[in-house]
Amino acid sequence: MKQSTETSSSDETNLTLDESRFDVSSKVIHTDRFMTWFIKLGGVLVVAAVVAIFVFITSQVLPLFKGASVDLPGATTTENALPPGDYLGIAADEWMEKPFAVRDDGKIIFADLVNGELTESELDYLEGGNLSTVSIESGEGLIVAGTAAGKVHLVEYSYAPTFKDGVRTVNENLEVVFTGEFEGSIRKVSCGQSGNSRLIAVLTETESGPKLFLDLVQRKKSLISAGDWKEVGKLDLSESLRKGIGVQDIMVTNRADSVLVVFDNGEIDYYFRSGSGLDTELRQTFRPFQDQDIQKIARADFLLGDVSLVLSSDAGVNRIFSLYRSESDPIRKFHQTKEFPPLYDSPAYYSPSFRNKSFLTGTSNTATLRYATTQAIRWESELPWEVSHALISKKSDALLFLTKDLRFVRIPVDDPHPEAGMKAFFGKILYEGSPESKYEWQSTGGSDDFESKLSLIPLIFGTLKGTLYAMLFAVPVALFGAIYTAEFLDPKNKAFIKPAMEIMASLPSVVLGFLAALWLAPVIENRVPSVLCAIILVPLGALLFGTIWSRQPKSIKRHIKEGYEFLYFAPVMLLLLFIGWHLGPLVESILFTVKDSETGTRTGDFSRWWPAITGTAYEQRNSLVVGFMMGFAVIPIVFTIAEDSLSNVPDSLRTGSLALGASRWQCAWTIVLPTASAGILSAIMIGLGRAVGETMIVVMATGNTPIMEWNLFSGMRTLSANIAVELPEAPHHSTLYRTLFLGAVVLFLMTFLVNTVAEVLRQHLREKYKTV
Amino acid sequence: MNALSSPKVPKTKGRGEPMVWFTGMWLSFGLLMILVLLTIIVKNGLSTFWPSPVLQIELVENSDAKLRGSTTLAGDVKKEQIRTTAGESGEPVPEIQLFTGNREAYNTGFRYVVESDITSREYPKDIIRAERLEYGDMIGYPVRIEFADETRLESTSKEFPEALRRMVKEANERRDKIEHIEKDLIGAINRSMEKIKLNRRGWDKAESIPEKDRLQMDAEQAGLQKEYEKLASEARELRNLQNANRLIYRIPTGDERTVATGSVVDYYYPNRLNIFQRVFRFFARIIHFIFEDPREANTEGGIFPAIFGTFVMTILMSVVVVPFGVLAAIYLREYAKQGPVVRAVRIAVNNLAGVPSIVFGVFGLGFFVYFMGGSIDSLLFSERLPTPTFGTGGVIWASLTLALMTVPVVIVSTEEALVAVPRGVREASLAAGASKWQTIQRIVLPASLPGIITGLILAMARGAGEVAPLMLVGVVKLAPTLPLDTIAPFVHLERKFMHLGFHIYDLGFQSPDSEAAKPMVFATTLLLIGLVIALNAAAIIIRERLRRKYKTGAF
Repeated sequence: MKQSTETSSSDETNLTLDESRFDVSSKVIHTDRFMTWFIKLGGVLVVAAVVAIFVFITSQVLPLFKGASVDLPGATTTENALPPGDYLGIAADEWMEKPFAVRDDGKIIFADLVNGELTESELDYLEGGNLSTVSIESGEGLIVAGTAAGKVHLVEYSYAPTFKDGVRTVNENLEVVFTGEFEGSIRKVSCGQSGNSRLIAVLTETESGPKLFLDLVQRKKSLISAGDWKEVGKLDLSESLRKGIGVQDIMVTNRADSVLVVFDNGEIDYYFRSGSGLDTELRQTFRPFQDQDIQKIARADFLLGDVSLVLSSDAGVNRIFSLYRSESDPIRKFHQTKEFPPLYDSPAYYSPSFRNKSFLTGTSNTATLRYATTQAIRWESELPWEVSHALISKKSDALLFLTKDLRFVRIPVDDPHPEAGMKAFFGKILYEGSPESKYEWQSTGGSDDFESKLSLIPLIFGTLKGTLYAMLFAVPVALFGAIYTAEFLDPKNKAFIKPAMEIMASLPSVVLGFLAALWLAPVIENRVPSVLCAIILVPLGALLFGTIWSRQPKSIKRHIKEGYEFLYFAPVMLLLLFIGWHLGPLVESILFTVKDSETGTRTGDFSRWWPAITGTAYEQRNSLVVGFMMGFAVIPIVFTIAEDSLSNVPDSLRTGSLALGASRWQCAWTIVLPTASAGILSAIMIGLGRAVGETMIVVMATGNTPIMEWNLFSGMRTLSANIAVELPEAPHHSTLYRTLFLGAVVLFLMTFLVNTVAEVLRQHLREKYKTV
Repeated sequence: MNALSSPKVPKTKGRGEPMVWFTGMWLSFGLLMILVLLTIIVKNGLSTFWPSPVLQIELVENSDAKLRGSTTLAGDVKKEQIRTTAGESGEPVPEIQLFTGNREAYNTGFRYVVESDITSREYPKDIIRAERLEYGDMIGYPVRIEFADETRLESTSKEFPEALRRMVKEANERRDKIEHIEKDLIGAINRSMEKIKLNRRGWDKAESIPEKDRLQMDAEQAGLQKEYEKLASEARELRNLQNANRLIYRIPTGDERTVATGSVVDYYYPNRLNIFQRVFRFFARIIHFIFEDPREANTEGGIFPAIFGTFVMTILMSVVVVPFGVLAAIYLREYAKQGPVVRAVRIAVNNLAGVPSIVFGVFGLGFFVYFMGGSIDSLLFSERLPTPTFGTGGVIWASLTLALMTVPVVIVSTEEALVAVPRGVREASLAAGASKWQTIQRIVLPASLPGIITGLILAMARGAGEVAPLMLVGVVKLAPTLPLDTIAPFVHLERKFMHLGFHIYDLGFQSPDSEAAKPMVFATTLLLIGLVIALNAAAIIIRERLRRKYKTGAF
């Protein structure tokens, strides 16, 4: 007795027995200790690893919700101030290492931010006179300079990086490509480019008042050379200017398809140029700050893509107007789409991002980085300098300011995911070009100025839609099947039915998806009425058959043993399915007829009837197909768990109720089912969990369009399918990549929640049985 | 007494019988669905291999089914169906689908023919069906063989069958030889070249290169180049030989066409076979299917790389999942203090089995591929960067991802097996003087082995059938190399691989001609579900045995 306690509790080391043969060998003790330690550590690690999945995925998502980080203390300032003078505009290279400023005497001064050198361009293009205005089109590398003498010069600039020993040196290149002459002294210029033509808008001041010109220049490009820019047309728009109202600014879009004229009184004229010539029409006149006391527009600038206009009033009110076709008006016009919190004062500068829909603006001593789509302020701060010009770098990784004391300041910016945010993922957003705000998923587009639409709502909706239709189909089959199996089925049959169902649970979903898409969808496509007929006929037939059968005298009933009903009903069901299948076309020709607009005859065609009646699409790979196949994937799981919980109801309850005279159905329905209800609920929940996460069936059997309608005959895009389709193509750590991770987190949480509830219910049920 | 014999008692007896039938209906519906599904897969899967006879039909002059203006069509009947689409007055039209082959001539491999258009049917004895390297099968009549020396052998001559047989055999042997040269020998040279290149790249970084080494390497490279050229010309010669002899055949629509015997893989006279020959050919084709490499964008040939890839991945996964799963289960059941914490952990682990597989794929991509793979690359394979070695999908990451996904399955079933070991056995062991670990090692684990194996098999079945996460972590439609081969270090864990499930997805959805790919998809599907069902059935059988052995606790 004593030995046994001692050996069993091997932790005790003070073995004081005389007989050492009872000693546990130290090897055993050490092995035991080691294994205890090893298993504990290993076990904890495995469990921790399992938990770590969630932590890791979440960690990948978190950067999405961070604002821009602008490193003010890490700013690089040029040592030497630029030579004194009036500077009209700034621009920089892709790496923002060698920005330049254009001085009013026409000199272009480059400041090397790496070694602090200042270089003045040799370029001599002004024949006397000073520059009166400069507009720099950074996207095209073009300086448009107007002089008081009435000349407009187009100066192209470019940077050529050379690499030597891994160190980059940037060399600039300047070239005057065109000079035009206009009446009066130039006040404002703007230029846009489409292909090999450029549209220059010029505002001049003459003795007879302001004048507005549109100048079209073109070049003939050959294989050998780029060709020279030549003026091909000039249009005088001066008549459209208002008498007595000054023009504040003019703007040509980068694409050169529209011209905006901003007036002093806060009005904007929107001209549209159609074709490649100079045909322009006034499309719209609007007042962006009509409702404000101060209506004067301080700045009007385009966002990347030229669809949206960022406007600030003299009082600092900051709004975005976008072009869209409204329902009542088929012409694209500007309408207000966004309003940002106001700036502190009239803005001093503006710069759009060249990568996304963010822009930099601010008063002379504040700066704010804002993202248009989500109406989010990414960063806002007071500046330690007085600022006159600002620029976002081409890569959106730095900000450049020209201070009033004529120094360039470059500030590193880290804002990798400006388009992200709670609002982007879950909010309704008024996207560019759309007349109403909506939830939309469209992660990639054809062009660089594409506005990414990252709403997860359509995907969550699609997930729920697919799940709903799958469950609608799966739950009755699985539950009634389970009730029958647990309560009425001959136990001998159960031995093969349950394993059969369990094996079905393991059918790879890729197989089901393939069958859904390539076999079921084409079969069902033209046979929807047949399917509907079968759905109605078979259950009714079962009830009817059961009723008739139960009324038969015992001598007949004796032929079918109780517990074999399902087997005997099979041929009846086949017959009913057959009838339903062939009844379909008949029903279709009576109920689902559409009138042919040409011949006027009515033909039965469900695939045309449905869109005509409901106004929604009818697709071959639709939710009916997905619901059916996904239901098929879910049935075995729900069936198995439900059947288990029904079978586990103690037999005493059953026998008691039967002894009291209940029929077998009454016993099952009123006694067993309520007792096992928690288990059944958990079965449904677990089925739900599987349907929510099902991937391959949805990928294969739907069109994967992220639409938001409950239409049974259209497809959907689920969270899981979305990940499977887009993640392989998403660049590592891009916004899309992280957003897809967010989708995974949502999916994880959804299933984890559902499964936990199911698990708790099941445990609850277990406790309940213990007491019965 | 009177009260007892009141008429109410017998009346309740039959109440709800229709509902019993109603529930029975759902069960039979479910079973029927399973049956239909399996039937479709098995029938379509197996019929892919069956060498069915080729039917030749004559059509009426105005038939829509005419090909190249000819009223004669031949092919094997794939489907007989009744079409009732809303067409001409909605009349049901019986039609057949013929696989006509000769895709390069007809631009299609299949043809629907309305039964009423057919004027005559026959099964010509002379018709030949040949599997080619390109354009799928040929169906036609052999006319003659034109040899390289411009002699001819008409198909009417006695020697013709023997000559054709010999030529195809020679061509196949030559093809094997070419493959050996191009894949093995030239492959080896390429590997050596690659190694030299990498060395050089390493040198470029190191700057100072001993002149001697450089010369030696140059010489080596030149030697390899020479050897390569020799082999390449040898292969080129063999290839020319492949195209030297030509078989002229007449397609049923009337034209004569030519095929080089080198591109005929196999041929037979489908209408001359007796039943034994058919069965033999059937099995031969199954074996080809399993052991050959795919051809023509996976739509022809075999699926050996996919089978092998699935196998390697599943084995790797098992190797990882079993120790960790069992370790965690032993900890949770035998060492951890049973309480609310362990219960919560258990619920969490249980639930993890229900987390969508794609989430594991996402994790695998982010953690294994990019984080771990990226780290390994920058530590060990920095000379190859920016081309990733481990920092991209590969069989090791796929296995680890699936291992993580299936570890809950193993934990749960191992735990169940551990619980099922009767307390008495444990106590007896402890009483006999065994330590806790000894008890676990010698008594508990062996007793719960069937349970662990059940878990493993279930995990394997799930792993083998899963596709969605694999798409993110390393599966490809066509892998040029296998993850295991005879080239050192023999196991290439970083390689991408092919997988049966992905093969189905890819063939059915990404291939340009999905109708032509269908037989292959069905055959692959049959193989995959055969595998998965076999694994599951094994698990169920083991579990039933275990249950009978202990008869305690609920599973």
